[in-house]
Amino acid sequence: MGQGKSQFSEEELQDYEDLTYFTKKEVLYAHQKFKSLAPEKVGHNKNAKLPMTKILQYPELGVNPFGDRICKVFSSSHDGDCTFEDFLDMMSVFSDAAPKAVKAEHAFRIFDFDGDDMLGTSDLRQVVNRLIGSNQLSEIEMQHLIQKILEEADLDDDGALSFAEFEHIIDKSSDFASAFRIRL
Amino acid sequence: MSGGDRNRKKAPRAQGWEEAGAEFYQESYPSTDTDFDVLQRDPNQLTTLLPSKQTRAAATTIKRIRTTTDTKTFRRQTSSRSRRGSTTTRRASTTADVQVSMLPDLSENLSNEQRTWEEIMQIKALPISMAQKKEMKAKLQSEPNLRLQGFEQLKWKRRKIWKKFQTQIKESYSKLELWRNDLKKIEGNCGTGVVAYFLFIKWLLFLNFGIFTLVFLFVILPSIIFKDVAQCDDCCSSIYFNQTTDSNIVLDLVQGTGQMERTILFYGIYSNETFSYEINGTKLYYDLPLAYIAVTIVYFLLSLFAIVKSAAKGFKERLVEGEGQFYQYCNLIFGGWDFCIHNDKTANMKHKAIFNEIKGLLEIERREEERQNRTQQERTKLVIVRVFINIVVVAVLAASAAAIYFVFDYSTEKVKNFPKDSIFNSSIESLLYEFLPSLSIVFLNIIVPLIFSFLVDLEKYSPINVIRITLVRTVFLRLSSLFVLYASLYIKVSCDSENVSSCVSLDCTLCWESFVGQQIYKLVLTDFATHTLLTFFINFPRALIAKNCNNKVAKIIGAQDFELPKHVLDVIYSQTLCWLGCFYSPLLPAIATIICFLMFYIKKFSCLINSTPSVTIYRASRSNSMFMIVLLLSYVFAVIPIAYGIGELLPSESCGPFRALPSVWSYIVNVFSSSPTWLQSILFFIGTAGFAVPAFVVLTLLLYYYWAVNSANRHMVVVLKNQLVLEGHDKQFLLDRLSMFIKQQQESQKRLRHAEMMRDGERIVSSN
Repeated sequence: MGQGKSQFSEEELQDYEDLTYFTKKEVLYAHQKFKSLAPEKVGHNKNAKLPMTKILQYPELGVNPFGDRICKVFSSSHDGDCTFEDFLDMMSVFSDAAPKAVKAEHAFRIFDFDGDDMLGTSDLRQVVNRLIGSNQLSEIEMQHLIQKILEEADLDDDGALSFAEFEHIIDKSSDFASAFRIRL
Repeated sequence: MSGGDRNRKKAPRAQGWEEAGAEFYQESYPSTDTDFDVLQRDPNQLTTLLPSKQTRAAATTIKRIRTTTDTKTFRRQTSSRSRRGSTTTRRASTTADVQVSMLPDLSENLSNEQRTWEEIMQIKALPISMAQKKEMKAKLQSEPNLRLQGFEQLKWKRRKIWKKFQTQIKESYSKLELWRNDLKKIEGNCGTGVVAYFLFIKWLLFLNFGIFTLVFLFVILPSIIFKDVAQCDDCCSSIYFNQTTDSNIVLDLVQGTGQMERTILFYGIYSNETFSYEINGTKLYYDLPLAYIAVTIVYFLLSLFAIVKSAAKGFKERLVEGEGQFYQYCNLIFGGWDFCIHNDKTANMKHKAIFNEIKGLLEIERREEERQNRTQQERTKLVIVRVFINIVVVAVLAASAAAIYFVFDYSTEKVKNFPKDSIFNSSIESLLYEFLPSLSIVFLNIIVPLIFSFLVDLEKYSPINVIRITLVRTVFLRLSSLFVLYASLYIKVSCDSENVSSCVSLDCTLCWESFVGQQIYKLVLTDFATHTLLTFFINFPRALIAKNCNNKVAKIIGAQDFELPKHVLDVIYSQTLCWLGCFYSPLLPAIATIICFLMFYIKKFSCLINSTPSVTIYRASRSNSMFMIVLLLSYVFAVIPIAYGIGELLPSESCGPFRALPSVWSYIVNVFSSSPTWLQSILFFIGTAGFAVPAFVVLTLLLYYYWAVNSANRHMVVVLKNQLVLEGHDKQFLLDRLSMFIKQQQESQKRLRHAEMMRDGERIVSSN
């Protein structure tokens, strides 16, 4: 495609295009962004593994209260350190083209702090705490809030949200898809 | 396999239920034995073995299982792929897709190119790392697959080419995409709700551009190409066209008078002739008046269609969302954070905003209780206050309408009383009088909303209602002021209905359509100028003051929120003006397009530089449907006077495409009566009762049918929800029982083993 001194072969790009929601151009653009996080390291090895602190310098992730969770979910080594492929995966899920169901799947894993495949009370509590940042809710308010959330979404009444229940809410929420999105 | 080995080892020892259970799971979920080991250690993990969990667990447990063997991993992956695939594509897919995903095992044996390709396309939806995805893709590609034959092959090839073409289009489109970086910046600073507003401006830009293209192609271009040469000397139009004009060119430009009036900007210049020309002996006709009216109808329908389409999308979302306000907490928690935010300050504001919203929701609950507990006395007091304030609001609206009327009257009198023959030496003064109506409308539009926002505080509505009510009132203000302008214009233009015979009556304008066009043109310019001035010369210094001074007064003067409703109204107002004016001033859509374009930057400036991030949360979906509803309202307001003008008013004798006709609509009637008879009879038939009554009945039946289906579905939802709860309880109960049972088993085993050991020990002891 005449990309000049591209670090990728045509084949690799084709792979990336098939396996993400990006076009080749966007893949290259994503790589530029990735490179700008650590120019010399990525310049040497296009798929270099960057530590989480580096990844969190990406502006959208840096201010995001779930930034570290996002890194962990997408990291192939599960410690938050991301290679370019992980980064590409991440951006692909956050892109406009990714369907709601895919976004929901990842959102669920981001919110599932303890990894038990259910959003329990403790998960919800952490989510809320991260959302409100430095502000504080009183214990009663917090309990009230969580109870409200469960009332709304916990269809089978087992005190935690399963993925099916979570997907159900996301389906109904018209804002989720537009909020769960990072423009490249 | 390791699972099998373990099983064999286990077999002699394990007894009874446990064995049976293990085998059951082995059969239906071939590789869950590792999970089962986990279960043996911790019975509470039993839930992870539920079939409903398996579909998802499959994906997440890949990493755990990968340690066993490769073949197993692949089996797992393919099964997980098919299941995930079924959930992700089910909604949008064709039946063929569903079949593919429903029959995973068959597809492994019978895969062909197309299916393989489809499966590769589905990989991207899997929550696994890129390396695994690549591996899967390579595996799928290396699998032997059947080549498609004949027509199938052709179809498949076509589809693939089409897909490729689509990606190419997408790629080149994204290069062209307008304001991509600006939008990203706004999004990062203000969140998705505000971006929805800027997207709305963009939408309007394209709408106006579309209207302009239509008008340009079918009206302006023909009338430029076929300049009419035949000018009669004694007919009315010559009087109009030969009017002497001598005045300042700049003034003409902003007022649309003088030489400007005779340009394609205004209605007056357009010819009433059917152009004809010859190509190779065949005569071709271009009926400009018909094109003029037809294009008008088409672009109004187009606008309506565009609005309704966007509004319906939002409306549908709201309907789905609003099976009550049920999910407001979940929406806030799970969809509350805009992942696009990239600015520290905004992030802090967002934290605060979400915190406020949570507080607000909890507060509303409390207030709801409080409202129920409000005493009779308080309630009556509040009702009285609200009624009183509504009366005040109506009074303010009426007063501003009256003010506009008088100002218009006064200024037109003044302008007329300027001595015609003397050169305008006081041209500044005359300019002032010319612009007085527009200025007063703009002035009222700035002042009155401030009064409204002060009044609404006294009424103690809930925050959402406050926004809505202020918005509705402001809309009424703006539209009613336009209405008054129209009414006063009407009084001015309808004066010559008695003496049709003479071209020029004493106190009437020669070409009232152009006059109306001029008024709207002036209003558009004034409105735009005010926005520019307000943003750059008043609000910008204010923002500077707030940023640089630290005392309290400066903060009060300078601090400004980006109040979305107000800015929305600004844009919608100029759009309404465009609709109102474009019949009488065909180039107005072009001007509106340019204004939209500049407006984007003005609003961006006032959003990013003048204002601090707002503490109120604007939801993207909600604000979008709000924009569309207000736009629809103002569309209706714009269409009514235009339709009246087309249908009822007498066109000017001396100018425009419809001179010497009783009304614009009569041209359509004439064209209709000269159309072929079969078309006429069809259209007449549609108008008769013989068609209308059956059509009405069919529509009613359809309506009833859908209503019935809807209510049945609603009932079903309730039933299913209840059933879900019951199932959930059952599940919980069974799981508890099961885990208790397993624990007992383990204990009894332990005891058994213990006893065995003891016995063995005894035996050893005794043998010794």
